[in-house]
Amino acid sequence: MFRSQPLALTLLLVAGAVIHALDASAAERHALIGKPAPDFALRSAAGPNLRLSEQRGDVVVLSFWSSRCNTCRLQLAELDRLYATYRPAGFVVFGIGVDDDAARAVEFVRAQGASFPMLFDPAKQIARSFDIDNLPMLVAIDRFGVVRLVRRDDRRSGVAEYTAALRRLLDE
Amino acid sequence: MVAAIRHRKSAVRRVLHVAWLAFLCAALLGVFTPVLAQQAEGSPAPEMPAPEMPAPEMPVPDAADAADAAPAPDTQALDEEVQLLKKDAVDLNRELFMLEEELLFPANTQVAVFLSMDVGEFFALDSVQLKINGREVGNYLYTQREAEALLKGGVHRVYLGNLKVGEHELVAIFTGKGPNEREYRRGASTRFAKAVGAKYLELKITDRQLRGQPEFEIKDWE
Repeated sequence: MFRSQPLALTLLLVAGAVIHALDASAAERHALIGKPAPDFALRSAAGPNLRLSEQRGDVVVLSFWSSRCNTCRLQLAELDRLYATYRPAGFVVFGIGVDDDAARAVEFVRAQGASFPMLFDPAKQIARSFDIDNLPMLVAIDRFGVVRLVRRDDRRSGVAEYTAALRRLLDE
Repeated sequence: MVAAIRHRKSAVRRVLHVAWLAFLCAALLGVFTPVLAQQAEGSPAPEMPAPEMPAPEMPVPDAADAADAAPAPDTQALDEEVQLLKKDAVDLNRELFMLEEELLFPANTQVAVFLSMDVGEFFALDSVQLKINGREVGNYLYTQREAEALLKGGVHRVYLGNLKVGEHELVAIFTGKGPNEREYRRGASTRFAKAVGAKYLELKITDRQLRGQPEFEIKDWE
């Protein structure tokens, strides 16, 4: 029994290291957090061009998606529910598609049926300026235009967490 | 003798076990402490019910006494001071901006391109793309608000850069909605001579009432 203890503890240590690594990635340390969000203007699927800096005073959430990403659909659906609830409190959501294929992106937008504006970034300039390295990826910007939250984690369990974070931003 | 050696070996083994366990504990603490700290930082503190404390009995002062007792703070002077500080900050920011522009775009080589719109009955501006000497130098997407500001008389600086003295070519490509809400794409170009000194060019979008079409021209401000 005494001999197997170090082995068990070593396994525990390895498990701890793995959990720590996973948690660190979920904690979303991002270079843009605390910095002003890069401004952009993009064409929307139905409607006028939209510029980020014109939303100053509202809490803005950018959700980067691609038509090939199934988890993006879930995140966009969740954001649609939040948008319906918090829109009167100054909550704005932009879905930003990074598809090369415009027709496919338009089809995705039509199928998704989101009530918030869906924008297209086929050149991926905006995605690059926000250091997007995962899809879906969510960026929350406060009323002063500062990036406050970046979320790469698409687990369903994380929805309550970022909803609480968005509520805090809306309360500020 | 053999027993003594065995006893010493087992003692050494125990010491090694204890040292190994101590190392593992330290390592585990090292791994989990940041996680716990992060969780504590990220999650809001649980709401604790406030213990019911009997309110201390305090004498209730009269309104007149309270007015006498509380000294009126000199908030007006403080507010003025804050406003002065803000003004200083704005002035400093403006001076820094001008200094930066002078350094980055000296008057000798400076070229600026502006865009203005008049009426806008036959054209709703969407974007403008600028090329100087065949090289794309600017691409601007206008929002509804920006287009409205242009229609109200606003002028937008689309490009600011540096060019050598000599002959150059500017091409502007406008996209938007033309008459009858049709997609509209038009270009305008000009050749201009850059001399010593700043050069200003204006892209003008006007309505040509007779033809019912928009007109695009480039004006060279001498």
